[in-house]
Amino acid sequence: MSKVAAVPASPLRAFWRKWRFHINVLLLLIPLGFMPKYFADAALFRGDTGLGERVAGQVQVGPWSLTLAEFRNEGPSPDPAGPMKFFNAALCDSCTEQVKATYLRIGKPRSLRAAGVIFFGTPYRMGAALPVPERTPADAELWVTMEGWDGTMHQGSIPLSQASPATIAWLNKQGVKP
Amino acid sequence: MSKKSRSKLWFLVHSWLALPIWFFVLIVCVTGTLAVVSQEIVWLANPDIRASKPSDDAEPLSFDQVIAAIRRDEPKAIVRSIIRPDESHFALTVGLSYPDGRTVEAYANPYTGAIQGISPSFNFQQFTRALHGWWLVPFTNGYSWGWYLVSLLGLPLLASLVTGLVVYKRFWKGFLRPTLRIRHGARIFWGDFHRLSGIWSIWFIAVISITGTWFLIQAILGDNQISISSEPIVPVIARDKVPLSAPGVPAPMIALDEAIEIATQRIPGLDATFAFLPLNAYSHLQIGGRGWYPLMFQTAQLNPYNGEIAVSHLLSDRSTLEFVTESMRPLHTGDFGGLWIKLIWAFFGLVLSMMVLSGLLIWTKRTALATLNALKREAKVQRAPIAKLAETSEAHS
Repeated sequence: MSKVAAVPASPLRAFWRKWRFHINVLLLLIPLGFMPKYFADAALFRGDTGLGERVAGQVQVGPWSLTLAEFRNEGPSPDPAGPMKFFNAALCDSCTEQVKATYLRIGKPRSLRAAGVIFFGTPYRMGAALPVPERTPADAELWVTMEGWDGTMHQGSIPLSQASPATIAWLNKQGVKP
Repeated sequence: MSKKSRSKLWFLVHSWLALPIWFFVLIVCVTGTLAVVSQEIVWLANPDIRASKPSDDAEPLSFDQVIAAIRRDEPKAIVRSIIRPDESHFALTVGLSYPDGRTVEAYANPYTGAIQGISPSFNFQQFTRALHGWWLVPFTNGYSWGWYLVSLLGLPLLASLVTGLVVYKRFWKGFLRPTLRIRHGARIFWGDFHRLSGIWSIWFIAVISITGTWFLIQAILGDNQISISSEPIVPVIARDKVPLSAPGVPAPMIALDEAIEIATQRIPGLDATFAFLPLNAYSHLQIGGRGWYPLMFQTAQLNPYNGEIAVSHLLSDRSTLEFVTESMRPLHTGDFGGLWIKLIWAFFGLVLSMMVLSGLLIWTKRTALATLNALKREAKVQRAPIAKLAETSEAHS
């Protein structure tokens, strides 16, 4: 009955005119899409899913040892101070009271003063941000230094390739050949 | 340009600011409102975070007494932090580290020190804040783009306020003669509602839009490594300031209550409400709380072995600019003066959400009317019976 369509409007145009101000409802897809990641991260930060995304293994450090894990199973993250790789660690059950401080470094430290970055946290779960220079050789060793309350020092190491294959992949991408 | 067409232009600008993104703005307003009272919502839902008194004359424990109680109940757990929430009906929030590697927030009764429960893995408070603050987009390198997306809304919100007041002629008269016509159809009602709630929310919209825009500026500054902070960077404790001890015997630290005493002496008027325990053997113990200015915190970092204050960050250390910028967040969240301020913020947050909706309704009803009018005109020309139909449906709107 209607003769409104004196100016014939295409159905597409009519659809657009009707819904154009409601298309932004689709923005809700963004948080919906990120929700699984949000909850996975929340669990990771709480430690519900373990020490980190990938447990690298045990490192024997003199009489003591620790479990080393990659916080995220990926290469170093960009940082104003250079690329950083986050590791988490837990001390062995018997050494929680023994160890005063734990340090991490690429390459063997010459002394306690150059032991590298210090771990923050509790013996059950501590973290360190390790600077990874882009020229790091792919066969580098990751050295753990532990200091006792009386000042004694012990060292141990793990190949970087074992501690973080993702970092090796990242290094190879930077153009460093093994 | 004539006065009439200029105000029409302002009106168009006002409509267009939120209309194409109304749903996004609405959800940000609603989640923001929820985030303001999220702690209270959890209080209602979860008895673990209530500070129930075991008896009427029970006195709150000191932090050391709380730690002692936790050591007694859970000898393996390590206390990392204690926070006494602003409102006394909340349990203490204790950061605990468990041997299985979990680091969780636990709720301790302030009168008995008993751990009443640990925070559930779904943290409603954090979730609403994340949804409101950055649309759940993860932070990978600097601020998340979701943060930018949300904080950018501060600008159209501010512009909506300004253009709204320009369009609403002599708006101050609305304070004296409030109009809310209920029986004149939906279009009139929502129009009145929009204007009435708008003028009473002027202060709130200004606060939220300005502080929201600050979050945008904060992200831009942060992502470009520009700092305006006077907060000193605290070096680790020097090696010779950490005493050596026998193997397997951690060097003794001062009691937490003593540390609070030292900090309170150093910072007059300090109401110490939180303590962050050292993060390793070379890290400081941090004590802090509010002072005379409720929107900012003051802190002191102490050597935990001898009680020496390494650095303090007092209100008097802050620059004028910092007083402004550091006040932005509490002003945005309404978290600086207890429950009543939060409730006021939540109420106006709800009003603001309703303003988005009423704005949309006004627009759709106006366009519906305009379309009908156009139809009517056309129908008149063609003498089609559609005009009658239009009239009846208009009467119902």
